[in-house]
Amino acid sequence: MEPAEDWLVESLRLYQDFHAFDLSGATRVLEWIGDKGILVAGYESLKKNEILHLILPLRLSVKENQGLLPERDFKVRHGGFSDRSVFDLKYVPDTRLLVTSGLPGCYLQVWQIAEDSDVIKAVSTIDVREKEGHLWPRVAIFSSAAPGVLHGARLSSLKVVDLESQKTTYSSGVSDGELLSSLQVLDAHTFAFCCTSGRLGLVDTRQKWTPSENLRPGSGSAGGRWCAEAGGRGPGPSIASLGLDGQLCLLDPRDLCQPVSLVQCPVSTPSPDPELLRVTWAPGLDNCLAISGFDGTVQVYDVTSWGGTGRQVEPVFTHKGHIFLDGNGIDAAPLVTTHTWHPCKPRTLLSAASDASLHVWDWVDLHAAC
Amino acid sequence: MPEIRVTPLGAGQDVGRSCILVSIAGKNVMLDCGMHMGFSDDRRFPDFSYITRSGRLTDFLDCVIISHFHLDHCGALPYFSEMVGYDGPIYMTQPTQAICPILLEDYRKIAVDKKGEANFFTSQMIKDCMKKVVAVHLHQTVQVDDELEIKAYYAGHVLGAAMFQIKVGSESVVYTGDYNMTPDRHLGAAWIDKCRPNLLITESTYATTIRDSKRCRERDFLKKVLIPVFALGRAQELCILLETFWERMDLKAPIYFSTGLTEKANHYYKLFIPWTNQKIRKTFVQRNMFEFKHIKAFDRAFADSPGPMVVFATPGMLHAGQSLQIFRKWAGNEKNMVIMPGYCVQGTVGHKILSGQRKLEMEGRQVLEVKMQVEYMSFSAHADAKGIMQLVGQAEPENVLLVHGEAKKMEFLKQKIEQEFRVSCYMPANGETVTLPTSPSIPVGVSLGLLKREMAQGLLPDAKKPRLLHGTLIMKDSNFRLVSSEQALKELGLAEHQLRFTCRVHLHDTRKEQETAVRVYSHLKSVLKDHCVQHLPDGSVTVESILIQAAAHSEDPGTKVLLVSWTYQDEELGSYLTSLLKKGLPQAS
Repeated sequence: MEPAEDWLVESLRLYQDFHAFDLSGATRVLEWIGDKGILVAGYESLKKNEILHLILPLRLSVKENQGLLPERDFKVRHGGFSDRSVFDLKYVPDTRLLVTSGLPGCYLQVWQIAEDSDVIKAVSTIDVREKEGHLWPRVAIFSSAAPGVLHGARLSSLKVVDLESQKTTYSSGVSDGELLSSLQVLDAHTFAFCCTSGRLGLVDTRQKWTPSENLRPGSGSAGGRWCAEAGGRGPGPSIASLGLDGQLCLLDPRDLCQPVSLVQCPVSTPSPDPELLRVTWAPGLDNCLAISGFDGTVQVYDVTSWGGTGRQVEPVFTHKGHIFLDGNGIDAAPLVTTHTWHPCKPRTLLSAASDASLHVWDWVDLHAAC
Repeated sequence: MPEIRVTPLGAGQDVGRSCILVSIAGKNVMLDCGMHMGFSDDRRFPDFSYITRSGRLTDFLDCVIISHFHLDHCGALPYFSEMVGYDGPIYMTQPTQAICPILLEDYRKIAVDKKGEANFFTSQMIKDCMKKVVAVHLHQTVQVDDELEIKAYYAGHVLGAAMFQIKVGSESVVYTGDYNMTPDRHLGAAWIDKCRPNLLITESTYATTIRDSKRCRERDFLKKVLIPVFALGRAQELCILLETFWERMDLKAPIYFSTGLTEKANHYYKLFIPWTNQKIRKTFVQRNMFEFKHIKAFDRAFADSPGPMVVFATPGMLHAGQSLQIFRKWAGNEKNMVIMPGYCVQGTVGHKILSGQRKLEMEGRQVLEVKMQVEYMSFSAHADAKGIMQLVGQAEPENVLLVHGEAKKMEFLKQKIEQEFRVSCYMPANGETVTLPTSPSIPVGVSLGLLKREMAQGLLPDAKKPRLLHGTLIMKDSNFRLVSSEQALKELGLAEHQLRFTCRVHLHDTRKEQETAVRVYSHLKSVLKDHCVQHLPDGSVTVESILIQAAAHSEDPGTKVLLVSWTYQDEELGSYLTSLLKKGLPQAS
């Protein structure tokens, strides 16, 4: 109890706002619906998992007069049950549909959020080419009048399927069976992929497969695991790639072969579960990103004027709440499973951990640089 | 069909005005009698006409149970008992009994003096109402009458809050009132044993929420501080919190507690130490947890002292008294802050500033400009979705009923409860009655003689299969006994009647009766290999105890009449024999 109370006192200085919740089951997904709701889903293998649509406490959604809103709780707006574990969940914008992926990985599940009740129902499935049940396909959504689902577990099985007709509208058409770790849609015709090896590429779906790619990261990452995200704000590199040893590589999309910088983040251990590696760019701050998946913390970095290799970097902020507020008495320290930035509030993040905790926190910039 | 009926009373789906009617095995119980604070007209009271259109409530209701002292659970009690009319017993825990009248009187003053309401219950009515109260202890079984019994369980939430079990014979209902499953600094968590009621009734208001942790709420509070309080309830919790952190943070700013009602509050808490949590009870022995090192009594002169300070003041809605005085002094400085800890009734200063009003008209047409920061914090502890699942898991009810929610918005929760616990979940609207069929078990004593006879039949009892027993059920007074028929006859002084059936079967046979009888005997002997078939010296044939006699037809010598006679006990065999004989006899070889 004591360290928790000490941390709480410290937190008065470190955070503006801080909320801690206990979900009924741990989640590996935090997907926004608009800027007021998020989706979470369980990933246990032997029991029914819940998919929940949660509405943020009102005081986190309004811009002024927050003090007059006493409500601090999440509201479960919709819920559904999944027999499979859910490892990835994407919301199809401007619809009431969700797409999930999990194990066994031979199909994707499409869900519908009911309009007149609070139920999330399974409505259809999307077959995937890869029949290896132990691999789960990554998912990204091309949102348009006719939404398309980009999915694949390997480069060779990458394709885009029209959600309504289930017809394949794009196929990578390559025989290269490299495993994928992340997929991200950038605009109506472009998507980015990152393989577990660290190989990254940007693909234009209007052309036959000719992605602009990077050179594979150096030998230091032999046998390593990578994930990536594009989308940095402000001048400077806008693609970040994170390796399981804590290496962070920043790239400019115009020239993926020349990384802008390659640094080693001070993480205490390599990630115990590389599938949980996350790197995200802050939508409301310039040159700011966050990483997680190594331990029970989330680290925030200001990457302004990073350049070259071998630079010593320190996070501008480390969220340790999941370690200190572990009130369950479980011996194993929790591992952060995922995190995400609030779309509108520049310094607010949400993070989830393996002990089913969910935190919403607004960190104080003591360096006032970011 | 035995059944349990539940009707939540009152109109509207919002929180407030808890009042539930339960009918169980012929008994009628009213659970809580709350007031809706948001309305000033009759909508604030439950609709008692649902209970009975005509006839006296005292005759209809066996008792009223109040779960805790919050006004949305007891606010309408004096109106109900004194203005509508009820003279039966009202059950509640001791702390509730002590604190209820204080809050009712407080509220009455605001309604009548501040808002000028007519037709409100009077101070005398509150006193008369409380005279009907019977206080109960935790886990004490209270006999309301010969058949109806109730028991209170600890609910956490506020001092004295209880969950109630209502039991008639083998049927029972548990009503949770408001409860919470996480202990806080001065109260423990709700707890109930595996009592397996037919029905668990609980609020659904917070069932679809995931609650922010207590620590984060405390943290928020610590960041801030003038707190007008309802004298009772959260003040103690906050004092303990501040005391703890003042030590840790080595703060020097003084903390004051305004005198008057709040002293009474501490007095009550000391009185009801058994109702607080473990930690407090333990430390109370070493030092009185309700005597604070850093918290002192307030003097009105302190309001003018320089430097920061924290003040807990009453009354809670800033509508009069000390809290309003301090507020007027401090409102003009933006460095100051006021924290409102709960709902404020329309018309009070508290309500106005929470609505965003920054210019207030005080008496004498003076305008007060409010520059100080205003914060609204909720300190009440309710169980959330997780908490409800925990409680259902503890009590193991057969059915769950949620009140105060909209069915369409709780379909997922209903599925979750039904799947996890394999129970049925009901969500009636206010005024809607849910009827639950029950199969109450009726205990019947079996006589030793009967049991021994059954055992002698040789078959061992199987715990999984029901066993068919024949006996006579004797119901005397409220006693049920199963005895053998012979013993029943003996006890009741009755003679046993013998029922005997006789059937005539006509056979074409020209020989003498004696020969027909022989033919019958041979035929039956060969067909009925498993039965004892005998030919008696007097010419009759017996099959077990069934008698067959052959006689000549009175008018037709070519026809013989077989008289087949059997007792009621041999009905099956007798019918079979008859149909067999009707088919005729085989030709003599």
